[in-house]
This record gives sequence, C-alpha cells and structure tokens, in this order.
Amino acid sequence: MTDYVARNRESWTKSNAAYTDARAEHAWAQTEIAWGMTETPESDVGMLPPLEGKDVVELGCGTAYFGAWLKRAGARRVVGVDVTPAQLATAARLNGQTGLGLELVEANAEETGLPDESFDVVVSEYGASIWCDPYRWIPEAARLLRPGGELVFLRNSTLAVLCWTDDDISETLQRPQRRLHRLDWNDDDSTEFQLGHGDWVRVLRSNGFELLDLVELYAAESATKHAYYDFNPEWAKRWPWEEIWRARKRV
Amino acid sequence: MSDALRNRAYWNRTSDEYQERHGEFLRRPEPHWGGWQIPESELNILGDVSGKDMLELGCGAAWWSILLAKRGARPVGLDNSERQLEHARRLMVDAGVDFPLIHASAEDVPLADESFDVVFSDHGALSWSNPETTVPEAARLLRDGGLLAFCTTSPLAAICWDEDDDLIRPVLRHDSFGLRRFDQEEGVNFQLPYGEWIRLLRANGLVVEDLVEPRPAEDATSTYCMAEERDWARRWPSEAIWKARKTG
Repeated sequence: MTDYVARNRESWTKSNAAYTDARAEHAWAQTEIAWGMTETPESDVGMLPPLEGKDVVELGCGTAYFGAWLKRAGARRVVGVDVTPAQLATAARLNGQTGLGLELVEANAEETGLPDESFDVVVSEYGASIWCDPYRWIPEAARLLRPGGELVFLRNSTLAVLCWTDDDISETLQRPQRRLHRLDWNDDDSTEFQLGHGDWVRVLRSNGFELLDLVELYAAESATKHAYYDFNPEWAKRWPWEEIWRARKRV
Repeated sequence: MSDALRNRAYWNRTSDEYQERHGEFLRRPEPHWGGWQIPESELNILGDVSGKDMLELGCGAAWWSILLAKRGARPVGLDNSERQLEHARRLMVDAGVDFPLIHASAEDVPLADESFDVVFSDHGALSWSNPETTVPEAARLLRDGGLLAFCTTSPLAAICWDEDDDLIRPVLRHDSFGLRRFDQEEGVNFQLPYGEWIRLLRANGLVVEDLVEPRPAEDATSTYCMAEERDWARRWPSEAIWKARKTG
C-alpha cells in the first residue's frame, strides 16, 4: 500500500468516527441528488448521464450516500469502492437498513481489482477525485468503463486549492499552481491530489476520454458554514468552490 | 456604440503606438505565442502548417500569418482595425509574402462556410470580441476535422488583475462572475471561466484537445509585462491556449 493510501485510510477512519458515521443515515435518506458542499442539485446542472438500467461504480464512496442516490435514481447496479473499512462498515449498515442492494468493495480506487469494461458510469464525489493520484485512478476509471461510458467527478476548484490556508481560505494565492499535484496536510494527516485545468484536460485525453463538460459550483445566497468540513460560503459566493468534470470514454 | 465599433476605434487610435512599442519584440524568425513569446516549436499547438488554409482572427500587423506564409501555409488575416491592417500590408511587403487581409469583426466574417483547416488567434479576436458570437463563427468557418486554437489571458490572471496599476498580483481582485466583459476606457475585453469555455466550444461542435498553460523562462523579458508579472507567471498560468477540433 502506498504511503498516502495508508494515511488517508487512517484519516478517514477518524473522520468517520467524528462525523460521517453519524451523518450517514440522514445522507442516505436524502431524496435529491446534490453535489458537494455547495449542495448543488443535480437537476440544476445535469452532469449525470441517464442512470436507468446502468451499471455504476463509485470510486472512493466513503459511506456511499452518493451511490445510494444513484441506485434510487434507477441504476441497475451500484458498486461502492473505498479503502477505509470503517466507512464501508457504515455503508453496509445503511445498505442493510434501506435494502437498496449496493455492492461494497474494499479497495484502493487506483487498483480496484474489478473486471475490465464492466461499468457504464464511473462517479466520484470528493472520493478518488481528490484522495487518489489522477495519474493512477483516471487510467483505472478508463479500464473499468465500457466504450462510450461516462466518468463524472467532483473536486475542489483549482482556485480554491490555490487559496487554502490551514483551516480556511483567503483572497490571496497561497501556493503556486506549477507542479501542483500532491498536497500533504498536517492537521489531519491526510494527502490529497489536485491538478490545474490544463493537466486535467491532458490526463483525461491521454487516457482515452473525450471532455464533455466542466461546471464550476458556487455557494447559494442562503449557504451557511458546514458542520464538519472547512467551507467558507462568503468566498464561495464570489469564486467557484468546487467543480464537476464530465468525460466520455471514446468508442 | 457597439463593442466591436468601440474596439475598432481604440485599435485605429493605438495601432501606430502599439507597433512602435512591440514591433521589435514581435519581429522573430519563427512563430511565438503570447505576451511572453513562447516558441511554437516548443508548444506545438498548430502542428504542420504547410498547405493548410489558415485564418487568423484579430491578426493585427499579421506577424503570425507572415511567418506561416513563409512556412507554406495559405493564411488569411482578419482584423477589425484598418490601421492595423495597413501595418500588416507594410510588413508583408518587407517580408515578400502576399495573402488576403480582411477588414471585419470576427463576430461576422465575410467568408464561406467550411473554408479553413485552422482558425487561430493569439490575444486577438477571442479576447477582443464576444466569445459567444466569435466561437460559432470560427466553427462555421472550419472544415470537419479542422482546428481552432487560441491564446488568451488566463481566467486566473483576469481574476488577479489590478486595474489601478495594470498589474497581476497574487490577490483575487475580481469575482469570477465579472469575468465575461471587462469594460475599460479604451475598449472592451472578453473572458470566460474555464467551464464556460469548454461548454461554449462543445456547443459549437468543437472537442477540446488541449489546454496549454505556457510558462515564461526565468530570465524572460517582454514589452507587454513587468518583471513582477513574470514572477507571477512562473508560479501561476497567466495565459491559456485552447485547442479544439471540429468533429463532423
């Protein structure tokens, strides 16, 4: 196991105990698909392909609330992959309670062990999209997709990444974008991966994806601070807080 | 007055001074991109140009098209300013090349559908005309499989631009929402956030192939930028070159 996978597993084990486990029941029960901390309704942005009858894999599912929403939206099969056993235990508990029938797999999203070309849709919402190395998980997503299948993921906006301070966000650029890739956080001993837009375009194209869309998400006027994650709604009303990429595996 | 007419008046007024200030910097034996003049041979945006029909949107004094003509391309230079095109004619005579120059706004180009292999712009019409109307025009003019390539100020540099002293600093000065249209005394500049560029290109049948964020060398100099802007541009992308392909 690479160093960052172990670090992130440990960090998310703690976060699950502190927040995501207690939050899971509420999250699973939500009826509307919404993206990220901005809670942008999918119906506003239309970034997901039609899900009816589709085979979906969620890379870095955590407690798998997003996968639950997709199953309820008509997906035939939803496989949730995560590397943190504690979060998967929470997911399994909710899966049992709701009877939604998700399949949960403990694996690093960079090497899932799932068969080639076995999915129509790969999604990641603050999952592999920031906690895995794009130069490893994007090739894995391409491998898992059938030709014509779609990859949709949410990450922090590059501008937000550039402006992060230790526990908030500023209106001053804090770090260079050149060589932006791996970020090691000392406060919660986690490691994440972020790229600029040009690097994202290239890693997607070089793995056989055609870029379909990119939508940048802002906070709603009524947005308030998040109960657990660092989220600055005032900043996020002026600049994009997060962004969703949509790409299709070329036939 | 429309934005196109305001910008025409501005460029007619400023053209002589502009060519005087930047002419020596732009006079190069091979094509270069942007305010830091990064060589095309390094970035390889356009590929082999020999025998290609190429339209330069906002050609100014046609520095680019003259070099492309010398490399065997069949360029057409379009500009919204008569005075800029007079400079282009003078430089074409000096260089011993000849190709059509069109005086028009890139939002309404008097040329036939599907007549170009490449439509390109280097801080030209994709910065000085409304992208919402210019990108559809570019798509109309391209043949199937043709390439649209353009270099503009990056959205990040536009956010960090301090209009008080015309410098980019590592401070967010403008909201992303304000990016679309910069109305200045001299003229009107246009910019879109990253996602809106991608959506506009796709909506016009153009598939994004690359987004190149060129970086100046440590010792780079430019008649367009100050030394502190070079240091900024070493750390963050100050320019963006989009490549998109028309698919039938």
